[in-house]
Amino acid sequence: MKSDTPLLEVKNLDVRFAVRGGDLTALRGISFSLDKGERLGLVGESGAGKSVAAFSILNLIARPGYIAGGQILLEGKDLAAMSERELRKIRGNRIAMIFQDPMMTLNPVLTIGTQMVEAIKAHRRISTKAARDIALDKLRKVQIPSPEKRLDQYPHELSGGMRQRVIIAIALLLDPEIIVADEPTTALDVTIQAEIMALLLDLCEQENVALMLITHDLGVVSQVTQRMLVMYSGRIIEQGPTREIINDAQHPYTQGLINALPQMGEPGARLFQIPGSMPSLKNVPTGCPFHPRCDFATDQCRQTMPEYVRSGNVDVACYEVSNLIEQEKRMQEAGS
Amino acid sequence: MTTATLSRWNRFRESFLWYSFKRDKVAIASFIVLLLMVFAAVFAPLFAPTNPYDLAQIDIMNSELPPVGMSGADPAFPLGTDAQGRDMLSTILYGTRVSLLIGFGAVVLQAVLGILFGLLAGYMGGKVDSILMRIADVQLSFSTLMVAIIVGAVFKASFGNLMFGEIAIYMLIFIIGVAEWPQIARTVRASVLAEKKKEYVDAAKVMGFRTNRIMFRHILPNTLSPIFVIATVQIANAIISEAALSFLGLGMPETQPSLGSLIKSGFDYIQSGSWWITLIPGLVLVVLVLVINLLGDWLRDVMNPRLYKG
Amino acid sequence: MTSPLVEIRGLEKRFDLSGSLLEQITFKGGRFQRKQEAVHAINGVDLQVHKGEALCVVGESGCGKSTVARTVMGLLSPSAGEVHYDGQRIDNLKGRDVLPYRRKMQMIFQNPYASLNPRMTIQQTLEEPIHFHRPELSRDEVRGKVQEVMASVGIDPDWGSRFGHEFSGGQRQRIAIARALAVDPEFIVADEPISALDVSIQAQVLNLLMEAQETRNLTYLFITHDLAVVEHFGTRVAVMYLGRVCELAETKTLFAEPRHPYTQALLSAIPKLEDDRPNYIRLQGEVPTPVNLPSGCVFHGRCPYANDRCRQQIPQLITTDSGTQVACHAVEEGRL
Repeated sequence: MKSDTPLLEVKNLDVRFAVRGGDLTALRGISFSLDKGERLGLVGESGAGKSVAAFSILNLIARPGYIAGGQILLEGKDLAAMSERELRKIRGNRIAMIFQDPMMTLNPVLTIGTQMVEAIKAHRRISTKAARDIALDKLRKVQIPSPEKRLDQYPHELSGGMRQRVIIAIALLLDPEIIVADEPTTALDVTIQAEIMALLLDLCEQENVALMLITHDLGVVSQVTQRMLVMYSGRIIEQGPTREIINDAQHPYTQGLINALPQMGEPGARLFQIPGSMPSLKNVPTGCPFHPRCDFATDQCRQTMPEYVRSGNVDVACYEVSNLIEQEKRMQEAGS
Repeated sequence: MTTATLSRWNRFRESFLWYSFKRDKVAIASFIVLLLMVFAAVFAPLFAPTNPYDLAQIDIMNSELPPVGMSGADPAFPLGTDAQGRDMLSTILYGTRVSLLIGFGAVVLQAVLGILFGLLAGYMGGKVDSILMRIADVQLSFSTLMVAIIVGAVFKASFGNLMFGEIAIYMLIFIIGVAEWPQIARTVRASVLAEKKKEYVDAAKVMGFRTNRIMFRHILPNTLSPIFVIATVQIANAIISEAALSFLGLGMPETQPSLGSLIKSGFDYIQSGSWWITLIPGLVLVVLVLVINLLGDWLRDVMNPRLYKG
Repeated sequence: MTSPLVEIRGLEKRFDLSGSLLEQITFKGGRFQRKQEAVHAINGVDLQVHKGEALCVVGESGCGKSTVARTVMGLLSPSAGEVHYDGQRIDNLKGRDVLPYRRKMQMIFQNPYASLNPRMTIQQTLEEPIHFHRPELSRDEVRGKVQEVMASVGIDPDWGSRFGHEFSGGQRQRIAIARALAVDPEFIVADEPISALDVSIQAQVLNLLMEAQETRNLTYLFITHDLAVVEHFGTRVAVMYLGRVCELAETKTLFAEPRHPYTQALLSAIPKLEDDRPNYIRLQGEVPTPVNLPSGCVFHGRCPYANDRCRQQIPQLITTDSGTQVACHAVEEGRL
């Protein structure tokens, strides 16, 4: 069911932070798209820029950060160029956001009901009664027991898992087309995390909502998403169908990330490890930002940033991969 | 050794403190003014044309001369003279010295008491905390003035008026120090409570270090920045307290005037037209307190952990 | 089997919630009442850690696993029960008598950003414990020891004059490990040592811990919520729920054949790379608060197999044929 223009298309997005001693580049030439009802995973370690990417989709980058270039097209309209007023109509309405910490969204001194009704009435001219009905309906959808009672409760009266369900209900209030979820289950326990993830997945499928899931957990990404992006040092280094990347990662960093998981190692044996750590934004290495940690790094990697090459359905930014592909091509040509 | 101090200097040059200082014109101006005043006051004997403490240099015939630029002024006394014929410039320099000495001294005493009690209360918690903090509450509920009147009376009664003049400085340091230590104690306690939850304190406990070592070597250095901020403001407060006490006649005697007692001594003559005896030391006091407070505000902004994350 | 290195017997820990005597007294229905409330963090835990093994304690937040760690290390004093080290009771030792055990038992903390004193250089941080515990060493010997221990955790010894904040999270955790190793301990309690770290760094730190175990013949009590890590790292596993151990087994046995319904649910909730959808055993509700403990088996409220006996009688650990110890009436009765 692919239409010609994707629902959301990010083109060559650059985000910078103005700090003392010059600008830091937080995102460099980020490009990806999200189709209607598609579930996209955004993976990376802290400092990779995945949260900045999530915030920039809503044009929510706060000072000293700013969008230095590129476009964020929601059905062809550029969010990066919109006024604050126009953006408000989109935020929460067409694109909703779920944060890691529920308390970032919930106001502790207002009841759940008040907050939900307010959120609806900010975008639609309907009566409080009607808004309350919508709120109730959404609370039922996220399978909260006795939803009528919850409307009159305060956030602190709910458990962590319950709060995250309320957050999902709030995200769904205005029937958004896209939900951006930034580490929605990281603060939760394993069993609760599995439930919330399954719920989010079911709801997105039922309502045909596109989901952009930001997480560091490769297991969750593999369970929930159809396509994934891997970020490193403010750049997308690999993107493609989730299954293909998980089963056969191309970029050495993605490979390392997967192989470093304890579930991939033989119990008791040494785990695969990527040496070193992610560079800080203040001193990103020249060329491919991963080269100081990469086993395959050559002079080419140290000097210039690799362009994307396609391997199968996966786009990778790595000279090693592009060289391999070219070699194969030559072999085939020589063979034929 | 030199490399160590050099690297410390470099560290400071690269620090956020230095960076924000360079960019804050108010802070730079305040710092320069304060530095000049402190320098002039500390080296008052070098700069002052006369020694106001030396009765032999005073001539009563020179009393109430106006500052230069007014009719009847004597160029030997650029800021005029007071009712006893002392040179105002010299008296103000010496007075600033006394005021600063009392301000710093009182804050050092406050800091010693406040850090000790604040550390104990915050780290020990429980009963020690309750008792110490109740004492602090009681202390704060007495006004500084009341303490000063009582202590002053006791001192005067036991040492006599002559001796009193010599020990007045120490008495004022004692009074202001004791009256205001709870401010610092509370600040220290609050930051100790925050610090002692951190894991490096647990790590020190697991190492088996004794309580004193953990309190003074591990926790105290991490509570210094709020202490530094509040101590700066407290110096200004102490100088004002001293001026108020002296103005009311509870502080420095006129033979060894501080800024406060200078203002007071001139106050009797303000009706007769000699406004400069009160106004000039008053201005000096205002400028002194203002620059210290401005520096304190700047420090608070810089060291506020909510604004600055390292 | 030889006698255990560390033994915990009947450990209980309550945290008083009700404050001072004045705050406990309430006026209700014309009468003064004294009301006392406490968090029951641990309720009767028996564990033995054998020399050379890594005993992992897993559970979700609030299960009391960190309290066990802190009580063993003497950071908390138990409300009831005993802690023994090498046959000697240590939880009631005072003053100088504790010092020898402080050298033999060390701890690694969760948050590498808080566990290093921000005002001390790395050199000072590492020198202090050696000076303290081995005053007979000369300055040069201490310095040599610091160099050796820094090198062994993969930190360049020339970086000693730097402060903690100049290092990345993974490097800080290495330094924290170096501090624990500096006094040549036999036994290390690691309280979630990798959960604050990025995936690629987690593997580095786990490898380091395993290396140290081999070269220094260490014994670990390893606290974690991550079962994948347990499978890789642990010799034996204790699963805790609401302050009680519900299952204790060899790692292989536990993962191959989990017996307790809670362990089964926990294992099923790990997001696996090969899964396409979240695939987990659904539990009812959430973990009850440890303030008012449920009667009988603490898990009965969420257990699909609970019956009247479970609601009334507390199950004790029984040993099954495979050597697994499990506290469950259903297993005992053969219902499960």
